[in-house]
Amino acid sequence: MTAVAAPDRPVVRRGGSPARPLRALWGLVGVVLVGWVLGNGFLSLAYHPEWYGHNRILMALVGIVLGIGGSALLFYCINVFIESLPQRASQGLIPYAFLLPAFALIGLMLLYPTVQTINYSFANNKSTAYVGLDNYRAIFADPAFWTALTNNALWLLVVPAVTVAVGLVVALFADRLSAGGEKYSKSLIFLPMAISFVAASTIWGKLIYDANPNIGVLNAILGTENDWIRMSGGRLNSFLMMIILIWMQTGFAMVLLSSAIKNVPDETLEAARLDGANERAIFFRVIVPQIKGTVLTVFITVVILVMKVFDIIYVLTNGQNNTNVIAVMFFDELFTAGRAGRASAIVVVLLLLVTPILVYQVRAYRKEAAR
Amino acid sequence: MTTTRRRGLALGCGFAIAATMLAGCLQNPNAVGGGGAAGGGSVVDNAETDGDKVVTVMGAFGGAEADAFRESLAEFEAETGIRIEYNPDSDFTNLIRLRTSSGQQPDIAIFPQPGGLLELAEQGYVEPIDTYLDYDELDRTLLPGFLESARLNGRVYGAPMRMAVKSIVWYPKAAYEAGGWNTAPANLDELAEVAAEISATGTPAWCMGWESGQGTGWPGTDWIEELMLRMWGPDVYDDWVTNRIPFNDERVVAAFDALGEMIDAPNNVRGGRSGILSTAFGDAMLPAFADPPGCYLERQGNFVTGFLPEGVQANLDEEVGLFIYPPAAEGEYTGQPMLGGGDLAALMNGNDPDAIEVMRFLTSDRFGGPWASAGGWLSPHSTFDVSLYPDEITRTTAEFAASADVFRYDGSDLMPNAVGAGSFWDGMIEWLQGTKTAEQVTTDIQNSWPVDDSAKDEGDGS
Repeated sequence: MTAVAAPDRPVVRRGGSPARPLRALWGLVGVVLVGWVLGNGFLSLAYHPEWYGHNRILMALVGIVLGIGGSALLFYCINVFIESLPQRASQGLIPYAFLLPAFALIGLMLLYPTVQTINYSFANNKSTAYVGLDNYRAIFADPAFWTALTNNALWLLVVPAVTVAVGLVVALFADRLSAGGEKYSKSLIFLPMAISFVAASTIWGKLIYDANPNIGVLNAILGTENDWIRMSGGRLNSFLMMIILIWMQTGFAMVLLSSAIKNVPDETLEAARLDGANERAIFFRVIVPQIKGTVLTVFITVVILVMKVFDIIYVLTNGQNNTNVIAVMFFDELFTAGRAGRASAIVVVLLLLVTPILVYQVRAYRKEAAR
Repeated sequence: MTTTRRRGLALGCGFAIAATMLAGCLQNPNAVGGGGAAGGGSVVDNAETDGDKVVTVMGAFGGAEADAFRESLAEFEAETGIRIEYNPDSDFTNLIRLRTSSGQQPDIAIFPQPGGLLELAEQGYVEPIDTYLDYDELDRTLLPGFLESARLNGRVYGAPMRMAVKSIVWYPKAAYEAGGWNTAPANLDELAEVAAEISATGTPAWCMGWESGQGTGWPGTDWIEELMLRMWGPDVYDDWVTNRIPFNDERVVAAFDALGEMIDAPNNVRGGRSGILSTAFGDAMLPAFADPPGCYLERQGNFVTGFLPEGVQANLDEEVGLFIYPPAAEGEYTGQPMLGGGDLAALMNGNDPDAIEVMRFLTSDRFGGPWASAGGWLSPHSTFDVSLYPDEITRTTAEFAASADVFRYDGSDLMPNAVGAGSFWDGMIEWLQGTKTAEQVTTDIQNSWPVDDSAKDEGDGS
């Protein structure tokens, strides 16, 4: 390779593929022109519907043509521009040029809203003027916010750990069943995953927790008439709602952990057995260390899910009776109370809380990949 | 490794800067459609074509109600040649905001609550009714106090198209009359006597249910509103819903205490405090139609008939009795108040003579004949022809409303959403469960009342 590359270099320097300024200009003008036409085309859809005769279908078609045709043209112009540059520069830039739209989309859909939310968290309720730290002061002075934080912490402490533990136990025992038995028991446990959060919450709220013992199974079993989801003593109602999430997520944990357990090489198990290890020792000393990566992945996935938990609480209590969590509180502030500033401040706090977990997860993945 | 890191850093920085530049600005505070509210000179306009004999209307009610609405307009359309396009949406409250902010507001919007109307009126998207309707004539035929709910800075921005009333007490006719109890208590004391007599028979007098999914607690707010109106009168009520007197005023606490006294009276309310909270508001009155009844009285809006068992609904006039929730016997105010609500029609295109024509018809006492006959609709006009109503119950309800001394809009609909659909509901639950006292709950609600940040807006406003 080096023998071939060496004579190449002087060729480049001598201008085998020199800069072509006219073509570069052509490409650049093309990019700007396409960008301008695209931007104004989309804006005209919003500002001048009368140009399209108020015809929604025509407007959608124009949008599709502009979107697809426009991006093809844009790429073409970018390509023309890059290729007209000196070869070294063009080769270095080409991957970035083609990644640019993807990066731009991430910037527009993820980065821009994040920065804008942080920005709005320092502004008033209509986001028209800055109010300094007022929003943060207001939410931190609000006892309801601390209740929500405490509840989130409780959910975080309980749900991921229990989900992983139960999932692990189920996976382990399912592994011992006959092939058919394993298939059916796993499908059954995985089933709740397929139910939406709202449906699952309604099912549990009505069939299990309802105050009427003729409807609510829990009251029928205990012979009581307790309105379970309204009983906030010892945060009982929060724990009852956590059970719903655990019930839904155990299947997910089980499937991943089960496949990890199956991937544990039989040789290591046999070696341990030959050395006289009992089942407990095999599980904790041989299996668990080999599936640690999967356990961590499942745990973190559930942690992130729990940070965002919304539907269950919204459906069952709407945050009443000390069950509020950050996500529901954000929703209420923004959509019920119309206080964009405080709502933004609340999600910024949530963002700050999630960040260390995300950083940790990325690090853990890197370590896995490096291994 | 270092180069990738440096490159990553540079790239990250680039995007962060780009995002900051994109994001580092606030919304335009003056992005207003018509600007008619503040100045009063110019006319509110929208993007629809004016004078083309087509009027677009948006509202929250769909299904059979939308059909009845269209039917009520058919004759008007034939007479004037104006075509009315009605688009219902169950998420009207949010959708109207969305469409207005994107410049797609309809000619006429029918708001189920005054809050949303006033919000858009404040931003200058709604034409005040005095510019195109005969205000005095309207005020004369409407129930007294109705237009007040749509008033902002002295001008009224919408007129009612439909009415709902809440100060009605319902009972199972046969069982109640067999008990021989007073079918028209003249004041709260007499009503309490009736309740005591019923309780003495071993059956609780009142049916009550506050459970309503995400909205749990709202039936409780109605009770407090009813008591506020009766104990302290409409003026204090107005001060209360606009927070001119604080929510934790001793008079409000007294209303909570009065309700508490009623709930805690032995065998007065079915299920007691915990039963009330776990009973859905729609199911609350079902025990009254069991044999023997599990309770007898329910104070609820005229929509309650829709929740009754099918057999009862088929024969409402025979099965269900009603009387008006009576005024206080003595004290600050002894007039008969009527608590209720209504759909408010508002004009969002002041340049369209057709839309104005439709508004004139919608808000007049001539509107609604076919809808009234179809049922479930009450005219807000005291001059409406009651013979058009389908049954005796609706006629009686309309007469109660027309005979009331004062009409007041449901207070929780008038309060800011953060209170009226938030802390007030939560407070009712906490108070009912006994986890907080009336003083604590009302103080919490007062603290949650949004602080007006219009002062901060003015800095960069007009």
